[in-house]
Amino acid sequence: MTEFMLKRRHVLMGMTATTLGGLALPGGLRAQDATPKRGGTLRISHTTRIATLNVLNLSGPAEYPVADMLYSGLTRIGLDSKAHPDLAERWEASADAKEFTYFLREGLTFHDGSPCTAEDVVATFEAILNPDVPAAARSVLNMIDRIEAVDPLTVRFHLSMPFADLPFSTAHANARILSRAALAAPLTELDTKANGTGPFKLETYDSARILRLVRNDNYYQPDKPHLDAVEMLLFPDLAAESANFLSGATDVMLTVQQAEYARIEAAAGIEAQRVASGRYVCVVMRQDQKPWDDVRVRKALALATDRELLVQVILEGLGRPAYDSLVAPELEFATEKPVIPYDPEAAKKLLAEAGYPDGLKVELVASDRPAIRVQTAIALQQTAAAGGFDINIVTMPHDTYLAEVWMKGAFYIGYWGTQPTIDATYKLLLTSDGSYQDTEWKNTEFDKLIIEGSATTDPAKRAEIYARVQEMELADTPYVVPFFEDVLTANSDKTFGWTVAPISRYYYIEDVWLDRG
Amino acid sequence: MTLAYVLRRLGAIVVVLAIVTVAVFGITVVLPGNAAMMILGENATPESLAAMERQLGLDRPILTQYLDWVTGVLHGDFGMSLRLSLPVSQVVGDAFRNSLSLAVLALVTVTAVAIPLGVIAALRRGTIWDLMIGLFSYVGTAMPEFVTATLLLIIFASPEWPVLPAGGFVPPSEDFAGYLRHAILPAATLGLILMAHISRQVRSEMSEVLSSDFVRAARLKGIRERRVIWRHALPNSLAPAVAVISLDIGYLLGGIIVVEEIFAWPGLGRLLIYALQNRDLPVIQAVTLLLAVVYALSNLVADLVIAWLDPRVQHA
Amino acid sequence: MREILRNPAGLVGSFLLVIVLSAAVLGPFVAPYDPQQFHAASRLQGPSAAFWLGTDQYGRDLLSRLLNGAPATVLFGLGATALGVGAGSIIGVIAGVAGGRVDSIIMRVLDGLLAMPELLFTLLIVTFLGGGTSQAMLAVAVTFTPGMARISRSAVLSVRTRDYVQAAIARGESRSWIVGREVLPNALGPIIVEATIRVSFAIMIGATLGFLGLGAQPPSTEWGLMVAEARQFMFRNPWCVAVPGVAIAITAMGFNLFGDALRDAFDPRRRRI
Repeated sequence: MTEFMLKRRHVLMGMTATTLGGLALPGGLRAQDATPKRGGTLRISHTTRIATLNVLNLSGPAEYPVADMLYSGLTRIGLDSKAHPDLAERWEASADAKEFTYFLREGLTFHDGSPCTAEDVVATFEAILNPDVPAAARSVLNMIDRIEAVDPLTVRFHLSMPFADLPFSTAHANARILSRAALAAPLTELDTKANGTGPFKLETYDSARILRLVRNDNYYQPDKPHLDAVEMLLFPDLAAESANFLSGATDVMLTVQQAEYARIEAAAGIEAQRVASGRYVCVVMRQDQKPWDDVRVRKALALATDRELLVQVILEGLGRPAYDSLVAPELEFATEKPVIPYDPEAAKKLLAEAGYPDGLKVELVASDRPAIRVQTAIALQQTAAAGGFDINIVTMPHDTYLAEVWMKGAFYIGYWGTQPTIDATYKLLLTSDGSYQDTEWKNTEFDKLIIEGSATTDPAKRAEIYARVQEMELADTPYVVPFFEDVLTANSDKTFGWTVAPISRYYYIEDVWLDRG
Repeated sequence: MTLAYVLRRLGAIVVVLAIVTVAVFGITVVLPGNAAMMILGENATPESLAAMERQLGLDRPILTQYLDWVTGVLHGDFGMSLRLSLPVSQVVGDAFRNSLSLAVLALVTVTAVAIPLGVIAALRRGTIWDLMIGLFSYVGTAMPEFVTATLLLIIFASPEWPVLPAGGFVPPSEDFAGYLRHAILPAATLGLILMAHISRQVRSEMSEVLSSDFVRAARLKGIRERRVIWRHALPNSLAPAVAVISLDIGYLLGGIIVVEEIFAWPGLGRLLIYALQNRDLPVIQAVTLLLAVVYALSNLVADLVIAWLDPRVQHA
Repeated sequence: MREILRNPAGLVGSFLLVIVLSAAVLGPFVAPYDPQQFHAASRLQGPSAAFWLGTDQYGRDLLSRLLNGAPATVLFGLGATALGVGAGSIIGVIAGVAGGRVDSIIMRVLDGLLAMPELLFTLLIVTFLGGGTSQAMLAVAVTFTPGMARISRSAVLSVRTRDYVQAAIARGESRSWIVGREVLPNALGPIIVEATIRVSFAIMIGATLGFLGLGAQPPSTEWGLMVAEARQFMFRNPWCVAVPGVAIAITAMGFNLFGDALRDAFDPRRRRI
C-alpha cells in the first residue's frame, strides 16, 4: 500500500464517520445545533427548464440538483471540493495509479427495489464509454480501458494510463449509476423516467411547471433524507421567482441573480448564501494566427482589463478578480496568482512593441446566452479602449455561436463552470488534446507535465508539478480570465442544511430539513 | 356568399399551411446549428454530437425527415419534442389552452369597451369626450407591449408595493382566483393596445359614414337620428371595424409572444421562443401551424361577418 | 401644412415630430457624454445635474444613449414603412383596380402570406435572416406588405362601390379617368392613415425585436434594446427602462397624430364637418 493510499484511506474513514451532512457549511452550521426534523415538502424555485432527466447528458442548472437527488455515483464531490464515498464505501488504487478497485456498500437497491450491484456499475461505465451514446462524462473517463465486476460488491477499473484523479472523475455529475435494465431499454426513456439509487424517487415530472420527488425509504444513509418530498418549481420569470420566494411560497431559490442579491440578502427571514466558486468567463484568443500569436498582444489585453471594475459592474461585487489562470484558488495544488493591475499605458506600450503603435482593431464575438458574456464584452470594450484596443462587439444567437464561432473563432467570450481538479481544468481547455482546446496554444512541455502530474501519487511531487504548469500558464497568458463568479443561492430561515458545492452540481438535499415552527 | 366560396377559402388555407410547413422546415434546416448542438451545448464533442444526432434522428436525409414528419402529422402524430422529452401534442396543447384563455380574456374585454368608445367619440366629435378617448387611444397605440408591460410592472408589481404578481401562472383548475390575479397584467397589456386601435378605427369609420351621402339622404328623408345611427351608420362602420379586429387577431397572436415572455405565461408564444432558441423543430412546426390555422380561420370568419354586415362588399 | 397645424391633434403631432426628428438629426452631436462610457461610481442613478435622465447598470448616461439611439430608431421606422407600404399599396391597388382573375390570384397569394400573424411572421423571417438591424427592417417591410396590400385593395373596392364612382361609370367615363380622378384620391385616405400608423408600428416592432434580442445587438443604443438590457434593473432604477420606453411611445405617437391630421387635411369632405 502506497503512502497515497494511506492518505486517501485516512480521509475516507473520517468521512464515513461524519457523513456528508457534517460538512454542510453555511446553512448547515445552524443545522448541527438542532436535531433535524423529519417530514415536510421542500419547495425549490428555479428559472430554467428541466428539459430532461437523462443523467448521461443533462446539463441544465436546474437539472443537476434533480440528478443529485435521483441518482448516486460511486463517489461524490463534497463541499471541500474533494472526492468522497457515495455508493462505493471505499476504493484502492494500485501503486502505478493504473488500476482502481471500488468496494460498493452492501444492500444497495434501486428505487424499484432491484439490487444495485457491480454489474450495474459496469453497465453504466460501458454506456458512458460507448461512442454511440451521447454521454457528457466520457471526456473525463476516456482513460478507462476496461472495467470488470470482480464480485457483486467489487468493481475494478483498468486504465490505459496512470490517472490518480479517477475518484474525482467517477464523481462526475453525469457519471451516476444506472441500472443494467434501464440501459438495455431505449435510452430515450431516461429522459422522462428515473430508477436511481439516490435519496429521492421521481413522482411527477411536468417539464413546463413542476417536478416532484418523494423520499426513498431505502436510501443507503440511515434516517435520511429528512424530507418527505421535494418540489422543483419552474418560474420562467426572475421577478416572479423572487416575489414568490420572498412571500414564503417557496423555501429555496436555487440561483439568485447578482442584480437581486442585495435585496434578497436584506429581506427578513431569508438567508442568502454566497459560495466562492471557480466559475469563470474567459477571453478566447486563437494563437495560430495574428494578432494573438504574439504573447505581447495577449499580455497587453490582460493589462487593459480592469478586473476590479468588471467584478463591480458585472457581478455587483459578488465574485473575485482572477488573474488569467483557469485554476480556482479552492482547488488542491492551486498556487497564489500575482495581481495583474489595470495599466492601460503599459498595455499601449506592449502593443507598440508588438508592432501596433496605433492600437489594434479587433472583432469580439459574444453569444447572447447567458447574458454575462455580452456584459463582459461590453465592459472589456470600455476598459481596453484606453489600452489601445478598438474592440467591435458582435453579439449572436447561441445556436449560431455554437455552430460557427465556438472552437473556431479568433476572439470570443467563453464561459465555464468549476472543474474538480487542476488536471480536469487544464484538460478541458489547455492541453493539446484538451476536450475543448480552442486557443491552439499547444505547449508540449505543458502536456507532458500534466500527464506526469496525473500519474504521480506523491502529493509533494504533484504540488511541485502543478506549480510549474500554473507558472507556464501565467507566463504565456493563453486566456485572459478576468474574474471568478460566486455561486449565489438563498433559503428561508425555516430551511436547514441547504447548501451548494462550489462546483454547483452537488446539493446534498438528503441533509436538508424543515422546521416551519 | 356561398358554401362554395367558404370551401374554396378553406382549400386555400390548407395549401397555405402546407407551404408554411415547407418554409419553416427549410428555414430551420438552412440555419447553422441544430437541436443536438443546443442540447449538448458546450459539453459537445464531435462524437457525442454525432451520437445525439443519431438519437434524435437528425442524421437522416432532410427529405426523409420532412416526409416522416408529414406522415406522422397526417396520422395525428406530431412527434416528440427534441428538447423537452415530451410529445409535441402535449406540450403544444397545454400551451395553447393557456394562450387561448389569455387571448379570449383580452379580446372580449376589448371589444366590449372599444366599440362603444369609438362610437361615443364619433358622435361627440370635438367634445372633451372625444379628446379624452382620442388621447387614450393615441397613447395606447403608441406603446409597444413590452413598454406597457414594463411600466405596468413597475407600477403594480414592484417589490416595495406588490399589488399584483410580477408574472407566472397558476392553473385555473387549482386556484381560479390566483389564475385571474396572474392574468390581469398580461391581459391588460394586450387589451390597452387593442382597445386603442379598435376604438380609433371605429371612430374614424363612424365619422366618415356619418358624413356620407346616404346618411345625409336618410336624414333628409326625416328619419330619426337614433335610427340613422343604429340602423344605417353603425352597421356600415362596423364592417371595417371587424376587418380591423380580424387583423388585430393576428396582432394579438403576435403580441402574445412578447407578453407571455415578459409575464412568464406558459403559452404558445413563450413556447415558440423557447423552441426557436433551442431549434426544436417539431415544436416550432406545430406552434406555427396552430397559430396560422387560428389566424386564417379568424380571417375567414371576419370576412363572412363583413359580408353579412355590408352586403355591398363583393367577393371575387 | 396650415390645415394640419390648425387641428389640435396635428399641432401636438407636429410638435412631437419636430422634437423627435431634431433629436434624430442633432442628437449624436449634442449628447453630453460618450454613450458607451462607463461612470462606474454612478451606476443606476436617477436624474441629477451631471446625468439629466440618470444612468444605467454600467453607469452610462441615459440621455446620451437616448440621443444617440434616436437616428437609428426613426430611420428604422421610416425605412421599413416606406418599403412595406410602397410594395403593399402597389400590389393592393393593382388588385383592386384590375379585379377579376388578377385580383383573385393576388388575393390568394396575400391570403397565404396573411395566414401568418405579423409578429410571428417577422420573428420567423428575422430568425432566418439572423438578427440585426437591417435584417429586422427587411423583415418588418416584408411583413407589412400583404397587410397593406389588403387594406389598399379594400379601400379601392369600397370606393368602387360608392355612388360617385357608380355615377361616373354610368356617365361612361373611361376606366383610367375613374381610377385617377375618383378611385385613387378617395382610396388614398385609408392608405395614408394606415401608413402613418405603420411608421409607429414599424418603430414599435423594431424596438420589440430589439427587446427580444433579435434586432439591434449590444452595445447598440437602439431604444428597445436599452429597455431589454435594463429590465433586470427596473425596480432599482425605473428610469433606465422608462426613459427609452417613453421615447418610443412619444415617437410613435408623433407619427400617429401627425398622420391623422394629414388625413383630415387630405380629405376635403371631412373638413366640412
